[in-house]
Amino acid sequence: MGGPAWLTGIFAAASLAVAVYCAGRLIAARRWRRPTELDTDGAHVVMGVAMAGMLVSGLRTLPIAIWEVVFAAGAAWFGYRMLQARRGARPSPWRSSHPLPHLVECAAMVFMFLILPASAAVEGTARGMTMTAAEARFSFLTLPLAVFLFGYVVWLGDRVTLHAPALATAAGGTRPPIGSGPALVATRSYLAPRCAVICKITMGITMGYMLILML
Amino acid sequence: MSESLAVGRAAAPPAADGAAALDPRRKLQLALGVIWVLDGILQYQPSMFTKSFPGMLAESAQGNPAVIAGPITWSANLIDHHVVMLNAVFATIQLALGLGIAWRPTVRLALAASIAWSLAVWWLGEGFGGILAGTASPVSGAPGPVVFYAILAVLLWPADRDPGAPSVAGRAVGRRPAQAVWLVLWGSLAAFALLPAARAPGAISDMISDGASGAPAWLAWIDTHAASALSRHGLAASIVLAALLALVAVGVYLPGPAVRAAVVLAVVLAVALWLAQGMGELFTGMATDPESGPLLALLALSFWPAVPAKEA
Repeated sequence: MGGPAWLTGIFAAASLAVAVYCAGRLIAARRWRRPTELDTDGAHVVMGVAMAGMLVSGLRTLPIAIWEVVFAAGAAWFGYRMLQARRGARPSPWRSSHPLPHLVECAAMVFMFLILPASAAVEGTARGMTMTAAEARFSFLTLPLAVFLFGYVVWLGDRVTLHAPALATAAGGTRPPIGSGPALVATRSYLAPRCAVICKITMGITMGYMLILML
Repeated sequence: MSESLAVGRAAAPPAADGAAALDPRRKLQLALGVIWVLDGILQYQPSMFTKSFPGMLAESAQGNPAVIAGPITWSANLIDHHVVMLNAVFATIQLALGLGIAWRPTVRLALAASIAWSLAVWWLGEGFGGILAGTASPVSGAPGPVVFYAILAVLLWPADRDPGAPSVAGRAVGRRPAQAVWLVLWGSLAAFALLPAARAPGAISDMISDGASGAPAWLAWIDTHAASALSRHGLAASIVLAALLALVAVGVYLPGPAVRAAVVLAVVLAVALWLAQGMGELFTGMATDPESGPLLALLALSFWPAVPAKEA
């Protein structure tokens, strides 16, 4: 990693904390039958682990190719959810109500893994996320991706104080959730909505930092 | 929700998803927040934790009067001795300012803090943009991008001093003060474009060439070609730029449609200046902010005359 080790360590710890917390949310949501965005939380679990591995070479778990497939699948899912939303499908409290940022996050992960130097992946060196000249031709993508994520972070920050009632309305209404199994019927208030927003903000800032390092 | 959160002309109606709709002022505040967050993360770049950061700050003392240069040199030396700790603090402050603007309960506090922070950095980090050194040029980012943060914080302040004003800026500080700010700002940019250092043969060309270094190929191509085209027409380019900036400056006193044209011209000039600045050299790993272009554009948008709301 290019930055100071303690700083990348902090960002890696933050992304791992989000991963662990979101895994906990998935378990708690099922046990207490409290709605949460299953796809977002699931994405944050794998994203947190993958990002920690990108930031600190000692935390690498899976080969890059597997992560690429995972996040490409994630991007496809959130893209599908976007299409569904455009076609007027009813929102579900169990799925992301705003799939576009998560689509961008997954695409950014694929992008970063694609241009991550193979040498760093193989050797586990500290070179980390610095691009080679050949990869730099894609650098025009990093700035818009980072700015989009910062915009998402700020937008979420604006909604923190508004988020709970908004989601409570969505979760507590009479509309049946789309595609949720019989065990996952939304009858209670949304699970810790502000914590969910803070997780998204943390992931957005961390991923934005990683992208800025690739400029 | 407190009055400070009533960022709109009237209480914002609930949006379809239950969240409050964003009025133009709040959108501009959030855009300012995004730039602050970007600044904070740029400050976390590896090169900022090295001696090159205080070295960059010390350079801004050059050409300034001793009373201005002394504190700049002192602070650069201080940062040089504690660069890792102080840079981490600086980056975190900027990140906190961005998030503070985003979070409604702290928007006033964050905007007020951003004014104090910007003015301090304008002096100690940018040497007042070279105004006193005679090297200021709008092409190089004069009067220093960070001062625009302070101006924007004032113009986007969540208060309605003049609720009937057509623009966001006018509502916050009053119509005439906002017009005066606009006139002084764009008028001074026009004056800077005509300073000897800015109108010298090859001056604009050299400044644009500097922006090309370290830039991606497409941006370097734009800047290299622009620099080449202007290399023999430095004085003429300065005069044309000054004339356009002066036109923008007086445009805010014209009738409604002309004000819109002036704002559009201001945004176009801001984009052109940003490209000339190599997009703030964001791609070099040494940028601490996106330079003046995006801030000028944001500032111009705060003067966009809205269509008057119809009476219910």
